Amino acid sequence: MKKRSKRRVVVTGYGMVTPLGRNSRETFDHAAAGESGIGTIKSFDTSGLPCTIGGEVDDRWVADSSHLLARGLEKCSSRGLKLMLMAASEAAETAGLDKLADRGRIGVSLGYHGESPSIEDVILFNRFHDGRGTWDIGELRKNISYSYFNFFRRKPDVATSLLSMAFDCRGSNLSIVSACAAGTQAIGEAFKIIGSGKCDAMLAGGCEASLNFLGFLGFVLIRALSEKHTEPRKASRPFDRKRNGFIMSEGAGCVVLEDLDHARARGAAVFGEVLGYGSSADAYRITDIHPKGDGAVLAMKSALSDASLDPGQVDYINAHGTSTTQNDLVETLAIKRVFEDRAKRVPVSSNKSMIGHPIAAAGAIEFILTLMGINRSLLLPTINYEYPDPKCDLDYVPNEARKQEHGIALTNSFGFGGQNACLCLGAYEEDR
Amino acid sequence: MKQSIIPEGKVVEEVNKAIVEGLDIKEGSVAPDSSLIRDLGAESLDFLDINYRLEQTFGIKLARHSILEHMEEMFGEESAIDENGRLTEKAAAMLRRRFGDGGASLEPGMDIDEVPAIVTVRSIVDGVLHVLDSLPDKCTSCGASAWTPEDGSRIKCGSCGEYAVFTNGDDLVREWLQEMQEEEKIF
Repeated sequence: MKKRSKRRVVVTGYGMVTPLGRNSRETFDHAAAGESGIGTIKSFDTSGLPCTIGGEVDDRWVADSSHLLARGLEKCSSRGLKLMLMAASEAAETAGLDKLADRGRIGVSLGYHGESPSIEDVILFNRFHDGRGTWDIGELRKNISYSYFNFFRRKPDVATSLLSMAFDCRGSNLSIVSACAAGTQAIGEAFKIIGSGKCDAMLAGGCEASLNFLGFLGFVLIRALSEKHTEPRKASRPFDRKRNGFIMSEGAGCVVLEDLDHARARGAAVFGEVLGYGSSADAYRITDIHPKGDGAVLAMKSALSDASLDPGQVDYINAHGTSTTQNDLVETLAIKRVFEDRAKRVPVSSNKSMIGHPIAAAGAIEFILTLMGINRSLLLPTINYEYPDPKCDLDYVPNEARKQEHGIALTNSFGFGGQNACLCLGAYEEDR
Repeated sequence: MKQSIIPEGKVVEEVNKAIVEGLDIKEGSVAPDSSLIRDLGAESLDFLDINYRLEQTFGIKLARHSILEHMEEMFGEESAIDENGRLTEKAAAMLRRRFGDGGASLEPGMDIDEVPAIVTVRSIVDGVLHVLDSLPDKCTSCGASAWTPEDGSRIKCGSCGEYAVFTNGDDLVREWLQEMQEEEKIF
């Protein structure tokens, strides 16, 4: 292994909330048992839609976050941010983030898209518009029942601000909106900021709560969601021949990344290390992926080169694996292009088979599950793998978790529109 | 019934317009046998766009699902696409009947990823005509037989003024498959 001279960035805390559990341990344990968090959507009426299932976080788990925010700010916070506050609390608590003295050197990097307008908003505004472009502002002002808080909930930057207020992080502050790649990019960019010496620590991750009518409808219209399944928990089947779309879910994942020397100096527990980050764009089409996976290949190769590692040193790949026909095929192809002869011997699995696809949160949740898997010597499975697809012929860790020591992993996130991100992470070793 | 209120020429004109606008290509570059994917560079999202434009123009619902998906649903899993992701003999036979000359390049055993390339400008015109031909004899609102064209592309009841309601494209594909199966016992 080549000796690296740059600053080392380690993970000193992590947390999550997902359809599988209210924290990282619960989620990991349920995933290790091969359970599915997918069910019939309860939070809004899906009757008549061609897809009626998703991965919801149990409402009873969604904690009252008002104690984390200054008085009066909770009303500006969306469900997505509430999930993020839960994940960030777990991460910050583990890391002892509140004990860090120089708050100007702690940053926030959040992947999130804000909340979709609610149907109630749309109905309200419809009453004051003549359908031809003219607003009845006089009546709207007299009858105002539209709160400016809704406007704040819509904006992803506000969530990032509130997160930095809640944890008093006054350093670099980043809002990342790259769809499915957002969670991975948020961690990758935070890794770069710490690596550059601008911050000592960063709260980084992603959150998603788009299981509402308008958030869901767009994905229904472009036919990205699974419309055929025997039962909800079997619908998300990455790499299986009968996969037919992704399952939308919600959740949040958050890590505390920290400069290794800084973490050592304060005696913080270290859970693993970020070794490299790559991001790329297909620069191809709006939803179609580049058919040969050029962008995905570039992201994986650039994460490896950033980590000064060869493909031969990677023990596991946490796949994007969405359960769409195209993604899983092209991701398989891209892995083969990067790993060549070794491709079929590297275990690859998709957490989305159990959690579904929590868009902007996916990358962060999967990064943490990968790290936990490394520390527990356990490869999480790809469940619902029943019908092999001759075009997807890698070792997908089918259906059951596998006890296996592994030290270095890649985790992939490939967004609609061809935004790709890949992180390389490893167990913490004093001399690397 | 075969409707004659909206002439075929109008459908061809509107399909060409939807393709030219949807794909943002030059007028005149569209020929009836142009393959949308192979010749005109369409991507998957473009099909939704073109369909949406035509649905707005004619007040219809075109099929959301491919004919292969319908076959799998109606005649059983792997009846149309085998376990290697290839077109079955029976599905190829059915598709050739559906696409006529346009289906000449269809071969059993071909990779199903190559099948969408057989969709041509002409097959979209046929799809629209198929839906328009589902025009009921009488207005479903008032019962009158007084259909009249509006703006050249919509059909309205001359008596009560309601727009005509057509059968949706997916139901028509299923009906067609059912009839063809009864006649020819392909599956």
